[in-house]
Formats: sequence, structure tokens, C-alpha cells
Amino acid sequence: MKHVIIGNGIAGVSAAEAIRLLEATADITIIGDETFPPYSRPMISHVLAGSQPHGKLPIRSEHFYADQKITPLLGRRAVGIDVAGRQVLLADDTRIGFDRLLIAAGADPRPLKAEGLDLKNIFYMRTQEHAKQQVAALDGARRAVVLGGGLVGFKAAYGLLRRGLAVTMLITSGYPLSMQVDETAGRMILDELVRHGLTVQVGVTVRAFEGNGSVRAAVTDAGTRLPCDMVIIGKGVLPCRTFIPKGQIEVDLGVVVDEHLQTTAPGIYAAGDVAEMVDIARGCRWVNALWPEAVGQGRVAGLNMAGREVAYPGSLSRNVMRVFDLDVLTVGNVTPREEAGYRIVQTGGAAQKYYRRLVLRDDLLVGAVMINRIEQGGVLRSLIENRIPIRLPPERLVAPGFNFGQLLY
Amino acid sequence: MKQVVVHPERCVGCMQCMLACATAHSRSLTLFAAVQETPQPKPRIHVGAGRFNEGFPNRCRHCDPAPCQMACLAGAIYRRDGAGTVMINPDRCINCASCAMACPYGVIRFHEDPLGPAGHAIAVKCDNCSARVAKGQIPACVEICKAGALTYEEMDAAMRRKTRDVSRSMSTDADQPAIPAGVALLKTIKQSEIALSGS
Ligand SMILES: Cc1cc2nc3c(=O)[nH]c(=O)nc-3n(C[C@H](O)[C@H](O)[C@H](O)COP(=O)(O)OP(=O)(O)OC[C@H]3O[C@@H](n4cnc5c(N)ncnc54)[C@H](O)[C@@H]3O)c2cc1C
Ligand code: SF4
Ligand code: SF4
Repeated sequence: MKHVIIGNGIAGVSAAEAIRLLEATADITIIGDETFPPYSRPMISHVLAGSQPHGKLPIRSEHFYADQKITPLLGRRAVGIDVAGRQVLLADDTRIGFDRLLIAAGADPRPLKAEGLDLKNIFYMRTQEHAKQQVAALDGARRAVVLGGGLVGFKAAYGLLRRGLAVTMLITSGYPLSMQVDETAGRMILDELVRHGLTVQVGVTVRAFEGNGSVRAAVTDAGTRLPCDMVIIGKGVLPCRTFIPKGQIEVDLGVVVDEHLQTTAPGIYAAGDVAEMVDIARGCRWVNALWPEAVGQGRVAGLNMAGREVAYPGSLSRNVMRVFDLDVLTVGNVTPREEAGYRIVQTGGAAQKYYRRLVLRDDLLVGAVMINRIEQGGVLRSLIENRIPIRLPPERLVAPGFNFGQLLY
Repeated sequence: MKQVVVHPERCVGCMQCMLACATAHSRSLTLFAAVQETPQPKPRIHVGAGRFNEGFPNRCRHCDPAPCQMACLAGAIYRRDGAGTVMINPDRCINCASCAMACPYGVIRFHEDPLGPAGHAIAVKCDNCSARVAKGQIPACVEICKAGALTYEEMDAAMRRKTRDVSRSMSTDADQPAIPAGVALLKTIKQSEIALSGS
């Protein structure tokens, strides 16, 4: 059996390991754009913040490919898939034949449209190379502008604040992380960031960058000039899907997969940030571009590719963030668009430096936000993920002393 | 291979296991000296209040596959070869708490630890007392527990006994699972108290 994997991120790596577990001798080829050893993408924000050195990014040995008997085609890009001919097309016209294919190409930063993007010290934040360049640009930098208040924008701003820069964050909603948390939690996070020196401008976008070689200012759509020595763009991500033949493999926002991670083309699978599948809490298809999802999906895709039928229960959004003195944990659907049909239970708030919000639908938990005392968050996630009917009164579930033991009777 | 087996129905909530665990994961290894150490050694087993306020000893299950390992952003969680013990490498952990989100039992804590890097909080959880076991001792929590709520057994023997207990408790004619009389009484009292107070 010849397995080909497009993408050497954690989804591709986890899939290769799962295949190797079941098939000691199968042919495995990984086509990967990045030549760096498999590494932790989330950790690049710790490198920017200075809490971890760049050297700690790899999470597999430099001999990973040899140890697992994988043929690596690194520094190469897939540009097309011949579905009927069972071949992957590379940029240099090489064709790689496959019996089973995994698309694990991840996501790219959502591009910004503005003038002056080619000035130095304007960055996206996705790869170890970006992190290296950002750290180099810190030297002598005093003021930074961060575009976007989602996960990556937030992490960029947090890292730059920790480096002692004066940071201005431009966001479209009223508080950061509005896709991840509800308004109460969002305001607590915002206050904490502002308390540590962050400047926030709401409802503002950037029209152009100015500078002479290097960026010196960002110009907003309202015409305001924001002086800066460094810009990080974090406006979300888009699945890498340009090389996928849409007529033959169904692509929505991401590549659509079933519970076995198989695309609409038999024998072709997708996993990780590029894949779109049913979200357990929302009950509809969703792209949950998250590390634990990429690991789990990659692993299950690999098992299925090696012939063991394993079902993936669906994806689930979840996140943990440390924001100076706040620990924030969020899972599932925390802000249902229509509140009708949902029950929301909350305790705490800004004054208590402690907050919990649970979202229930009938007797199922579908979402939770915790600020501080987050240790039991995994128990709540497990209740959501396994769709376990809640017999405990939600008031007990939301109380500070809640623990796993209370679910047993 | 022997493992710690938890029998929550026997727990009297005395929290002796927590003290013993903290001591076993201190630098000095004695309770008296451990309380004066900085950072303070902390327990890796947690006795929480159950539904009826009864004690519930909660510790890492060393799951296979381990959800915490799959969620770890830094590749810090690994399985010790042979023993099946899920371990956290204190030098790789970045204290991101991604594992707290993953663990279905809520057994991971985050703090500076005597056995970790100085001045940094890290993820800390049960390590099956691997240091003690290597010296021929049994896990500290089992050694101290006088209620029989924590035992150290060959896993298949423990499994067989659990199954037997469950099947016994299902059939009305048979004996109840062997809970010490005093503990059963304590639990009954607590449960009826709670029922009376209407919560
Ligand atoms: C700054 C930052 C912080 C984050 N923090 C968190 C966090 O705290 N928690 C969390 O859960 N998640 C976090 N994430 C998200 C997490 O990193 C991703 O979900 C995860 O890395 C996705 O893995 P993947 O393997 O699906 O994709 P990727 O890691 O994107 O890997 C895909 C690989 O495929 C390559 N590739 C793409 N197209 C091609 C092609 N055509 N040919 C060849 N190769 C190709 C890419 O270069 C890339 O190396 C963060 C991400 C960033 C950027
Ligand atoms: S920490 Fe939790 S998830 Fe990890 S092995 Fe232990 S019980 Fe399982
Ligand atoms: S806190 Fe440490 S052990 Fe837990 S997921 Fe993060 S790096 Fe891994």
C-alpha cells in the first residue's frame, strides 16, 4: 500500500505515525512545504513572548522521517491532485502516485488587503520562520500594531506586551476573542490586557502602511496615523485548498470529510486545519483549526488509511489561554446565535476574578467558559464531547467545588 | 504490572493520601521537613467532595491513548516505556494548560514544583510514584490509606474483582460489595442528611 500525505504539520505527522503503527512496511511519503523538523506551531507565540527559546520548537527528533521509514519530500509544494489517475502533482511537474492520500495542508493566514504590505517588519504569524523574523525585529522596536483580536491576534499582542512594547490592537468586535468567549469573559480579558498597557481600537481597519524601507506607521480607514516599528497581522486563517480539484472533492470553507475523515473522493482523506466536519456542540459542519483536533483527526485518518475502520465523533472548539493573571478556558458553543432553546447558567464576574458560564440544550451541555480555577475544564469538555445527559443540577456543575466525583451517582 | 486501584465507595475523606503524596514528591521526603520547603510540595491525588459530600479520591488514570498527551502543545507528555505510566517532562512543559482541557477527570494542577524548574509553574500530576517504585516501595497514597480506598494490585486481578463486585451488587440475593460497616453508615447518614436538606 502506498500512502501519500500532503503537509508535514501535526496532522500529517500524527497520521504517518498511526499508519506506521498498523503497517510496518507500507510505503509512506510526506510532501511538505516547511523543511524544519516537525514542530509545535502554537509555541511560536511563546517564542515571540520570550518565554521559550526557538530551539525548543521541535516536538519530534530530527531523525523522525528516517526512524519512521517515511520518504520526506520537503521544501516541495503540491499544486494539484489527479483524482482518477491517483497522483499528486508537485510544483516542479513531478507526479507522485498513491493508493491512499491524506490532505493535511493546514491553513494559511487570512491575507490582508492594504497598501505598503511589502515594507519590512510587517508579519503574519504562522510559521517558525515568522517567529524568528519577529524576534529579530524586536531589537530597537518600541511600538507595535496588531491587527485582529482572534486567537492569533490576541497571542501576538500578549507576546509583544510581555516584551515591553507599547501595543495597539485593532479589532472589529467590542472585545478580543469574540469567537471563543462570551461578552462577560471578553470584557474581563480586555480589562486585564488594558491594565497591562494594551491600547485597543474597536471597529477600525488598516488601509495602508507607511515607511521608508521599514514600516513606520499604519494608516487606518478613518485616516488616523498610528506610528509603529512593527506590525503583526492576525485576522484568522483560511484552509489551504487552492490545489484541490473542487469538482471532484467537495470543498466548503474546508475540505469536507465524513466520520472516517474521508473526503467525497474514495481513498482520499483530510485532517487538521484544512478539514471541515460536524462540530459536536453546534450540530453542523465547522472548521475547528486547533492543535488537539489536528492530532486526533490525523491519527484517526491514519488508522482508517491503514485499513482499520475508526470513527471520529466530530470536532469541538476548545481553547485555553493565560492572560497575565487570568486563566481562560472555553469549549463548545458558548454564544449560541439564537438564545431560545438554550439554558445559560453563570456565576462570578469581573469583581470576583472568577467566572463560569455553562450553555445547556435540554439535558446536554454544549458550551462552557471558565475564568480562573480551570482545572475541571476537561471534565466539562468530556461531558460535551461524549454528549452525556447531565443529571446533576447545573447550579452544582457551575459551582467552584465541582469535580469528577460528583458525576458518579 | 501492578497499578493503583481506587475504590471511591470506601473513601472516608480523611485526605491522608494527599499529605503522603505531597511528601513523596518533596525534596526532603519527610512530612516534617516538606512543609518548610519552598516551593511547597503539593499533592497529586485530590480528595474532592462528591455529590453527597462524601470523599472522592481522584488521580490520573494513565489512560491509553492519553487525551492529555494528544493535546499537549509542547510534546511534554509521554508514556514511560514498559510501565504504562503517563509522565509530564517538567523541562518541556510550557504551562499552557492545554492538558487541563483534555483530561476527562480533572486531575492536572499547575504550580511551581520542587521537582520542576525553579521559578516556573508547570503541569503536575500523578506519576505512579515511579521514584518510590524504583526503590522497591509501593505508591505513597496506597501505603497510607487505612480505609482500603486505594489498593495496589495486578491490573487483571483488580479488574476481575471489580467485575465480581459489580455483578454481586446487581443481584439482590448476594452480599453487598465489601464496604467497611462504618463507612457505609457514614455515607448513608450523609446521603439522608442531604436528602433532608432538600438539595
Ligand atoms: C500563533 C499560533 C498559536 C496557536 N495556538 C493554539 C493553541 O493555543 N491551541 C490550539 O489548539 N491551537 C493553536 N494554534 C493552532 C494550531 O497550531 C493548528 O491547529 C495546528 O498546527 C494545525 O495542524 P495541521 O497539521 O492541520 O496544519 P499545519 O500545522 O498548518 O501544517 C500544514 C503543513 O502543510 C504545509 N503545506 C500546506 N500546503 C501545502 C502544499 N500544497 N504542499 C506541501 N505542503 C503544504 C504547510 O506548509 C504546513 O507545514 C495556534 C496557531 C498559531 C499560528
Ligand atoms: S492526566 Fe487525565 S487524560 Fe492524562 S492520562 Fe491522566 S487521567 Fe488520562
Ligand atoms: S501545560 Fe505542559 S503538559 Fe500540559 S499541555 Fe501544556 S505543555 Fe503539555
